[in-house]
Amino acid sequence: MAKRFTKKKHRGIFGFLRRERKEERQKSEHSDVTVALDDVNIKIRSGELFGLLGPNGAGKTTLVKCLSTVLIPDKGTAVVNGFDVRKQTSMVRASLGLVIGGERTLYWKLTARDNLMYFASLYKMPRKQAGERVDELLGMMQLSDRADERLEDYSTGMRQKIAVARALLHDPPVLLLDEPTLGLDPTFSRQIRSQIRELSEKQGKTILLATHYMEEADQLCDRVAIINDGKVVAVDNPNKLKEMVKETELVEIACYNPPSGIDDSLKSLCPNADIVTLLHGDEAKGTPSRIKILGGNAEEHVSTVIDALRKKNVRISNLNVGVPTLEDVFIKLTGAKLTEGGEQ
Amino acid sequence: MRANLFIIWSELIKNLKFLLAYPVVFVFWAIFPVFWFVPFILQGEAFVGGLQSQSFAQIAGTPEYIPFIVLGAILNSYVLTSLYGMGESIRREAYRGTLDYILSSPCNKAFILIGKALSESISSTMFAISQLLISILFFGLEMTLGIIMPVILIIILLILGLYGIALVLAAVSLRYKQAHDMAHTLEYVFYLFAPVRYPIEILPIWLQIIGKLLPLTYALIAVRSIMLLKESISFVYMEILALLIIDAIVILIGFYLFNWMEKRTKTSGTISHY
Repeated sequence: MAKRFTKKKHRGIFGFLRRERKEERQKSEHSDVTVALDDVNIKIRSGELFGLLGPNGAGKTTLVKCLSTVLIPDKGTAVVNGFDVRKQTSMVRASLGLVIGGERTLYWKLTARDNLMYFASLYKMPRKQAGERVDELLGMMQLSDRADERLEDYSTGMRQKIAVARALLHDPPVLLLDEPTLGLDPTFSRQIRSQIRELSEKQGKTILLATHYMEEADQLCDRVAIINDGKVVAVDNPNKLKEMVKETELVEIACYNPPSGIDDSLKSLCPNADIVTLLHGDEAKGTPSRIKILGGNAEEHVSTVIDALRKKNVRISNLNVGVPTLEDVFIKLTGAKLTEGGEQ
Repeated sequence: MRANLFIIWSELIKNLKFLLAYPVVFVFWAIFPVFWFVPFILQGEAFVGGLQSQSFAQIAGTPEYIPFIVLGAILNSYVLTSLYGMGESIRREAYRGTLDYILSSPCNKAFILIGKALSESISSTMFAISQLLISILFFGLEMTLGIIMPVILIIILLILGLYGIALVLAAVSLRYKQAHDMAHTLEYVFYLFAPVRYPIEILPIWLQIIGKLLPLTYALIAVRSIMLLKESISFVYMEILALLIIDAIVILIGFYLFNWMEKRTKTSGTISHY
C-alpha cells in the first residue's frame, strides 16, 4: 500500500500575483509531496497483537486511517477480516474498532453514556442491545458511577477509557489502536495496556497497536513492525528484533546539559563504534539526556566517554552497559531516533 | 429499518442536547424574531401611511402588507437555519475530532445527515413558532385549524429543498473547511430573488427567472395563497409540483456532491482537517 500527500504551497499574501520561476517550479516538484506510506506490505495473523513502532511522522496514523477507510490509499489495497478496504468498505467498518486521536474525538458536552449510545447507533446496534452493551463497557472501564456525567468533567485518562470502550461497542474482531496511551499518566497507561493485553489474550481479538513507545511494543506485542519515513524496515517478534543488535555491545550514559555537538566529538573518540547518538531529554521534567554507543568495545568506550564528559563538566547521572532495546534496533536499522524526549 | 431510525434519532437527540448545553440560545429565540421583521413593518407603515395599500393589492392580491411580510420572515427563518446549520454541523464534527469516527462507521451516512437536518428543522420550527405567536398576537395574522395541515405540508416540502442545498454546502465544508461565506451569499440570493419582503413581480423579468428556481419562492406563494387569499390547497398544485421537482433535483445533487467530496478529501488526506 502507498499513500502520498501533496503539500500546499504558501507563497505569501500576494504570492498568487507572482509567476513562479522555472527553477522554483523544478525545485518544488519533489518537495511538494510527502510520502506517508511507501509500499507497505505486512500481514497480521488472526488473534495477533501486532505492533507498529515508529517515531512521529513515520506513517503509523496514515496506515491506520487507510485500514479503517478514513483515507483512500493511492496504490494497493488492504484486506481486513477478509474484506477489501476499497471495495467492501461497509463490511470493513463493521469489522473494526478504532481508537485514533484519543480524548479529543468524543463529545465533551455529552455524558459518557450519551457518547457511547450515539456511537453504538452508528454501528446499527438495536437500541436495547446498545443500552446493555454500554452498561457492560462502563462497568469494564470502572466508570459506571460516573456514566451520567459530562465528559468535560472527566480526566484525560477517563476520557481515553471511553474512547477505548467506544471501539469495543459492537465487539469487533479487529481493533486498530493508534497511540492509545499518548498523554496518559503511568497509572492510566498501565490500565489501558492491561486491557489491551486482556483483549488479545482472553478475547482473541486481532489488534494493531501503533505506538512510538518502545516499552509498550516490547511488553505487549507478539510481533512488531518498525516503520520509518513510510517504510517498514523490519517485522519480527520483539526478542528476535533485539537479537539483531544482541552481539552489539551497548553503552548508555545518562547525563545533564550535554554541550551541543558532543555526539560528533564522541564519534571521533570511538571510531570502532557502529553508532554514537545523543537523545535529548527534558531536564525541566527531570529526564536526562542519553548518549548511546552501539558496537565496538564497551569497556574502552566507557572510560573514553566518561573522560570526555568530565572535561566538559557534564554531570553524569547513570551508566548502563548491556542489553539493547527496541529503540537500539530502530537506531541501528534507520540511523534515526525513536523519540525526542526519551522513553515514557 | 429500526436500526436506521435509531441512527436518525440518536443524531437528532445529540444535536438537541448540544443546543440545551448552551441555554442562552433560548433568549436569542425569544427576542430576535421581534427585531427581525418589525422594522420592515414599521418601514412599510411609514411609506404607506397605514396598514393597507391598494397599489400593493394590485400586485400581491391582498392590500395587507403586514401579514405578507410576516409570512416571508417566518419561512425565511428556515432558509437561515438550513443554510448555516448543515455546513457548520460538518465543520463542527471535524473540529471536535469526531468526523473520522462518523465516516468510518458502517451505517449509511444519509441517515446521519437526515438526523442533522431534522435537528436543524426543530430549531427552525421553534424560531418560526415564536415569530408566528408574535405575529398572531400583535400583527393580526390569522391562523385557523383548517389551514394548518396544508401549510405544514408546504413547509415540509420547503425544508426538503433547503436541505438539498444545505447538503451542497456540507460538501463544500468537507472540502474547503468552511462554507459560511457561501451560505451568506446564498442567504442574500434568497433574500433578493424570492418574494420574502416583496412580490416577485416587482423584479424585472430576467431576475424573476432566478427567483423561480428557488424553492422558497413557491413555498411563499403557496402559503400566502392559502393563509391570506383563503385559497384551498388544490389551487396551489402548480407550486407544490414545482417544489417536488426542485426538491428531487437538489437532493440528488446534494447527496452526489457530498459523496464525491467525501471521496476526494479521503484521497487527499484532508478529511479531518478544519
